[in-house]
This record gives sequence, C-alpha cells and structure tokens, in this order.
Amino acid sequence: MKARAEALPTQEMLINMGPQHPSTHGVLRVILRTDGEVVVNARPDVGYLHRALEKIGERVTYAQFMPFTDRLDYLASMNCNAAWAWTVEKLAGIEVPERAEYIRVIVCELNRISSHLIAFGSFTADMGAFTPFLYAIRERERVNDLFEDICGNRLTYNYVRIGGVSADLPDRFLEKTKEFLDYFEPKIPEYNKLISYNKIFVHRLANVAAISGGEAVAYGLTGPNLRGSGVSFDLRRSEPYSVYPKLDFDVCVGTGERGTVGDCFDRYMVRINEMRESVKILRQAIAQIPGGPVMAKVPRAFKPPVGEVYFRAENPRGETGIYLISDGTVNPYRLKLRAPSFVTMNIFEKVTKGLMIADIVAVIGSFDIILPEIDR
Amino acid sequence: MGLKGYLHDIWEAVATTAKGMRITARYGVDPRETITLQYPEERWEPSERFRGFLHNDIKRCTSCTMCVKVCPVDCISLESVRGADKKLVLASYDINIGRCMYCGLCVEVCPPKSLTHTSGYEKATVTRGELILHFVPEDAEEIKARVAKQVAEAAAKAEAEKSAKAEAPPMGWPAPVFAAGNPGAGADAEKKPAREQKGEPANREEPPKEGGERTE
Amino acid sequence: MMESLAVSLVNAVPALSGVPLWTMTLLVMVVVAAVVLTFALLYAGLATYVERKVAGDIQARIGPNRVGPLGLLQFLADGIKLLLKEDIIPAKADRFLFALAPYLVFIGSFAAFVVVPFGVGLIASDLNIGVYYVMAISSLVVVGVMLAGWSSNNKWALLGGMRAAAQIVSYEVPVGMALLPAVLIAGSLSLQDIVRSQGGLLGIFGWNLFHNPFTFVSFFLYYTAALAETNRTPFDIPEAESELVSGYHVEYSGIRFAFFFLAEYGDMFVVSALATACFLGGWHVPFLDAEALPVAWGNLFSLGVFLAKALGLVLLMMWIRWTLPRLRVDQLMRMSWKYLVPITFFNLLGVSLWLLVFHGKGIPRMIASLFG
Repeated sequence: MKARAEALPTQEMLINMGPQHPSTHGVLRVILRTDGEVVVNARPDVGYLHRALEKIGERVTYAQFMPFTDRLDYLASMNCNAAWAWTVEKLAGIEVPERAEYIRVIVCELNRISSHLIAFGSFTADMGAFTPFLYAIRERERVNDLFEDICGNRLTYNYVRIGGVSADLPDRFLEKTKEFLDYFEPKIPEYNKLISYNKIFVHRLANVAAISGGEAVAYGLTGPNLRGSGVSFDLRRSEPYSVYPKLDFDVCVGTGERGTVGDCFDRYMVRINEMRESVKILRQAIAQIPGGPVMAKVPRAFKPPVGEVYFRAENPRGETGIYLISDGTVNPYRLKLRAPSFVTMNIFEKVTKGLMIADIVAVIGSFDIILPEIDR
Repeated sequence: MGLKGYLHDIWEAVATTAKGMRITARYGVDPRETITLQYPEERWEPSERFRGFLHNDIKRCTSCTMCVKVCPVDCISLESVRGADKKLVLASYDINIGRCMYCGLCVEVCPPKSLTHTSGYEKATVTRGELILHFVPEDAEEIKARVAKQVAEAAAKAEAEKSAKAEAPPMGWPAPVFAAGNPGAGADAEKKPAREQKGEPANREEPPKEGGERTE
Repeated sequence: MMESLAVSLVNAVPALSGVPLWTMTLLVMVVVAAVVLTFALLYAGLATYVERKVAGDIQARIGPNRVGPLGLLQFLADGIKLLLKEDIIPAKADRFLFALAPYLVFIGSFAAFVVVPFGVGLIASDLNIGVYYVMAISSLVVVGVMLAGWSSNNKWALLGGMRAAAQIVSYEVPVGMALLPAVLIAGSLSLQDIVRSQGGLLGIFGWNLFHNPFTFVSFFLYYTAALAETNRTPFDIPEAESELVSGYHVEYSGIRFAFFFLAEYGDMFVVSALATACFLGGWHVPFLDAEALPVAWGNLFSLGVFLAKALGLVLLMMWIRWTLPRLRVDQLMRMSWKYLVPITFFNLLGVSLWLLVFHGKGIPRMIASLFG
C-alpha cells in the first residue's frame, strides 16, 4: 500500500463541514482536511451563535439574568438556572429553604434525563438509525409535560429564583413524576436492546476516538466525557452541593466494555447509565422531600456584598461554572460562564486525527456538545 | 481473528438485528403506540401555569412600571399621566410579544396582579408591527390631552377655591380694630378687599402650581 | 413473444392486415414498454408513500394523512412539487454530465423491469439471458452515480459518488454468486425458466429456498448484498443524510432529484422481484397449477401472488431501514469482501456438489419420493 501511495500523486481535500449541517448539533463549522476518507486535520470554528450573554449580564440585575441562563444550555435549562442561583447565593450567603433545594434537585435530575435523551436520540440519528430519536422525543415530551405543570414553559423554564424557586409544586406533581419514572425505567433496557448493543452500532463506536483518563483530565473534560474515560469524578459526589449528600447514587464510569476505555461507545453508555441513576435519585428525592417554604427572604433590589465567587454544578454536559464578581450594585460587575462544551472542543482537533469522516460525526455526537453553550 | 471469532461476529450481527427488528415491529403493528396529536383538530390543553401571551387588565393597572423595570429584554412600554385626583392614568400600554421571552418575571412582580399570562400561543402574523399588543384602546395623545384638560380644569377650580378661601378672614382671628376715622373699619371694609381680590388672579404672573402636565 | 403477439393481433383485427409485421411488432413493443413503465412509476410513487407510512408507524407517529384519503395522494403532491421546482445547475458544474447522470441511473434501474416475470405469461421480454441481463443493466447505476458525484463540482457529492462506486461494484460479486445456485438448479439463465423450475405440486416446498441448505443461506446473502446494491440503510453511506448531506445527489433539485429517488425505489422492486423469482417460487399460486388454468385467471392469480411476494420483500427492506444504523465505508467494504464473498463462494461450491451428488433433487422432493 505504501509504495502505491507514493507512486500515485494525491491531493488533500479541504472540505467545509459548514455551519449548516445535519450532524453538527448546532451551528458548528469544522474545517476538514482529508486524504480521501481519512481525516488529516479537523479544526472546529465556533462563534456563529455568540449572543454576548456575559456582557448582557453586566447590564441586567441578578434576578433579570435568570432567563438568560435558560438560553445558555437550553436542553439543561433548569440546571443552568440552578447553577446561577447557587452562585449568587454562595456570594451573598443566602440560606435556601430545604424544600426549595429538594425541588431544585428534582427538576435538575428530570432535566438531566431529558437532556441525555436528546443526546441519545440525536446521536443514534447521526449514526443512521432514525427511530430511537423519536422514542427519545416521546419520553422527553412527558418530562416536558411535568415541567409545563410546574412552571408553565416546555423549554426555557426560568423556574429557579435566587433564594428558592418561584412557585411551589402544583397538585399531584410528585405522583405524576412517580408515574413517569415507572413508565420510563423499563424503556432504558428497551433502548439497549434496540440500538445500544446492536452490532453495527457497536462497531461504529468501539475503539473510535479513545481518550485516556490522563488526557481527559489534562484537556479539562468534565461530566460524562470524563467519566467515559474511566475517571470517577462527579461533582455531585466530590464537591457536593445542595441536598446531594443525602441522596444515594452510583457514579457511572466507562469500562471499555466493547472496545477501549474512553472511546465513543463508553461515553454513550455512561449517558445511558446516568439516566438510570437519575431515576434512582428522583425516587429518593420524592420520598425525602419535606414541607416548608420555597423561597427565602431576598430584598427586591438585591445587592450582594462586594466580592467574587466561583461555583460549579454538575450539568448533563459537564461542569458548568460561573465566576461572578460583584461590586455591591444591583448589576453584576463581571460574570464568566464556563461552558463544558466549549472546553470539550479543545480536544476535538487532537482526537480526530486519523479518523474517517464518518467518525467525525460519531465523535461530535459522543461529546454531546451544544452550540449555545459553546458560543454563549 | 480465528474461525470462531468470525462465526461469532456473524451470529451476533444477525441476533442483535433480529432483536432490534422485533422492537420496531411491535411499534409498527400496535396502533396504541401512535402518540401524534392532529393539530389543529386536536389540541394540547395547556397547564394552569402555562406562560402564554401576556394580558394586562388596564382597569387594575396602577402604572407602577415594575413590569417595565424588571423585563430583561425591554418589551413592555407604558405611558401614563397624573390625573386630577393625583392618581396616574394609563395613556398607553404596549407589549411587544415578538421580543418577549415569556420568562414570567413581569407577572411575578406586578403588585395589583393586573398583568397575567394567558394560555394563548397562536398569533402568527404577517408583519412584525402586528406583534405589538396595545392594551389601551384609545389613542395615547387623546388620553393625554383629555387628562391635561381635566387637570387644567381642576387646577382652575382649585385656584378659584383658593382665592375664595383667601378672601375669607382667617379662622378665629378677630376683626381688626382700627382707630376711629380710619377707612377699612367696619362692615364696608370687609366687602371691599374681597371685590378687589377677585380681579387679581387674571393679572397674576406666576403659573399655577398644581395640576400641571406630568408624564412618567 | 412480441412477434407472436403482433401476429395474433393482425390476425384478430382484420383492419390491421395491411400493416407490415415489423410495424406491428414495434407498436406492440412500445405499448408493452409503456405499460411496464407506468406500472414501475406508479409503484415507485406509492412506495414512497408506503415508506413514509411505515416509518411513521414504527416511530410512534402517523405518516402522511392529509392529502387525499389516508394521504394516498401524497406522492402526487410530491411529484408535482418536484416538477415545479427551480432547476438549479451549479455554476461550475459540468452541465452535460450533470444532466446525463440522472438518466443513466433511471435507465439502469427501470430497464431491468423488462425481464421481471410478473405472471405466467406476463413478462415483457423473456430473454434467455435474463439474470445476466439484469446484473449487467443495473451496473449502469454505478456510472450514473459517479457522474453525478463528479459533475456536481461539490466535494461532498464527490465523496458520495466515490463511496457509491466502491460500494456498488464490490457488492456486484456476492449478488451474482448468490443468484447462481438458482440458475444451477434451473439450468437456465431465463427468469421464466427459473420460476417454472420451482413448480410442481410440492407447493411451498417447491421453492428454491427449501431446496437445500445452501440455497437457504443464499437467499439471505442475496438479499443482504442486494440491499447494499440499492444503497439502502444500513448501506446508505453514499447518500448518508446525516453525514454527507445527501451525498451524490446533494446538488440536484426538482425533477432531476426525482429521477434518483424513483430509481432507488425501482431498484428495490427489481431486487425483490429477482429474489422472489429465484428463491421464493415466483408467481406459483399456492395449491393451484397456474399454468393449467385458463389464461386470464392464471395470469391474474399469478400476478397477484408475485406482487404480494415481491412487495412483501420491499416492505422488509423498509422495516430494516428504520431499525438499523449505517455501516461506515470501510466496514461496508470489509463486510463484502471478507464475509459475503467467501460465504457465497462456499455456497456455490456446496450447491454444485449437492446437485452432482443428488442429481438435482432438493430435500422436499427426496422426502416426497420416500412416501411415493
């Protein structure tokens, strides 16, 4: 093969996997240089969805910024809302009532399930199996029904407030959540039978883009991407916040069951297993939730003390961190949003060397990136 | 890979495919699995807390502008004038539902609870201007003019009352005692100053202090 | 067959006795071709509708149901829409090749309908090289696809075209070799002969599928390889929607795209028809001897049976499409050359040995002869 390659003059192709592409999970542009089907260099080009959220944060008040965090990662909207609330509460030292914390954990875990469902669905759709996407959407619609009951919106919730949540749980919400959990739990083995262990699917993903644990930590990967590489690090366990210390769950780690540890299949299976763990957490939270108020006393014109704080939360896509500097006025002085997908893109160029074009799609899908988060 | 691996590969491919196909067959054949709602004939019933389009009950609105201040995208604009009874009169209240992000902060913060979310979500329009909802049916300028007139009338009335009050002697003070022979003493003296003062307001240079046009 | 039809027509209708035979034959040919083409296009249109309905059912939703009763006229609406679309040819594209490619693909797909044995006497042209002809003419599709990929002046299309060429050419080998057992059993390449060889009063057991274990495996091998020939999932890498954004037909719009689309469905039918004819007993009506019936009834029943079997296989293709993910190019190639080719070789050898040892008798016939 080598001799022939040298004898035939070949040219590298420069292909633009443009912002408009069915599989790039948003407006991601990847500049591919390929030698036939094999990728020589794949450079991501981001910024098509930049909306200056951090600058907006400097001009609105703390309470007004909450709807903007919805749009940071719209598939894990509750998680981002809660991260912002926890950040400001940490800075100002606000004590949140326990019922509010339990409600926050319940909606965050429900949102984790729905976010992982989309990750699972769109990933399998990229791989060519169009059906599991619709099953995932069907499950997600039921989660959206629960969220519609609780806050009125189906996508960008703006439910969490600084100091608690905006409204108490509606009638029968906990029963409906339990019904959903009973309905959803048997679906996970069905997905595994349908697509996860399908030979073609496994073959597409096993041993593709294997990232070792050391590399993952060095590049700053977090969340399922990090855990897929075998590193057992979950912020809910390592730096617990809210009521997570009272809840019992396992940290899902990639084990290389069908290939190498840290390949695309591992990251995918970590997400499937995390859905199962979220169901466990939800059952415990529903059982343990106390009564009481759902909102602490926060002044209308809220002015936190001067200072800076960094808070990180375990979002479905990784560690969402918010670094906040306050100068004592009603508007933040500076806030920086650490988006997990943005940091994940750092390893993209390295990991795609030598893969085929079809594998690029698999890698993007297995990282579960979302563009509004990358571009903010 | 040896022969065993080869055959195992083939067997696994066939077995997993068959398992998957069984699941899709069940969905394909069972009519209960169809979950489509045929819109617009069948509609989803929005929940109680559904954040649809905003509606302001202008009879209850006190023009406090809390909603305007709290809106993150500045989609509410209102104009009000202070009326004759010192209360604010709403001249115009517009919400740009194209800009609104349905976050619900304005509804939360409204003190008289006049601003509420409806369950409406169907307002597709052809031009963007149609997306601005006007909640005060009358024209703003007309309202302002009318209120200004009312205020001016009230001010005039108030001035008249004030001058009438100024003519009357201060309460409880005894009538001035003048030395005999001085003009201004007696019953005649009381009437004369009142007649003189009546003509005065027309000559006064100062603008009336109360009831001026004030927009907020 | 055309000539005999022409002759019988001239004899039947005295007004046509003045017309020379060659004109009559030509006329008959044109009419038959028109009938076959109409059937093929109608089938292709309805196949798109059925595909969408099947997809909807599997995906827990309803397919098209607004246009016409149950959405049956959806394909007409789609066709009219495609006809009315603007015909865009990219600026730097090779205009002649760009225009030629859809025609080649269409011809490669629909010309094979000529030898499909629809019924006892219902075959457009019973060529004595039937199977060979189908294999040859469906290779035109490769040329068309490569031209489409090249002439679009689009790297995505080029990639798709190259992948398609590699794929279709590699899968020609197992397709051919998987069909050979049926040819060996019948002793002829003509499709009508192959179908007739599965007749006799053994009913379903006369099928080539049950003839011997090697042909049983051959059927599945043929079906899989043919699925790859038609670029269907799991082998739809050339037109992978989610990767190559439609691959080789990304730059085509309007009626040119319609040609590619229809050709794909036409190909599906040809492949299924071939599988039915060679392995599933073709037009043999269960419990009846179709050739002994009066001509009209025999043709009607056999047509119905054939269509039921062929369309059933088409439905199976659709079911597979909505279940499985797609293979990567190198996995596709690996599957063809490392799995399908050796196994079909082995099968061919097995069938040949079987026929030699058992003098052409299949298992059902041997069991039947035990009972007399």
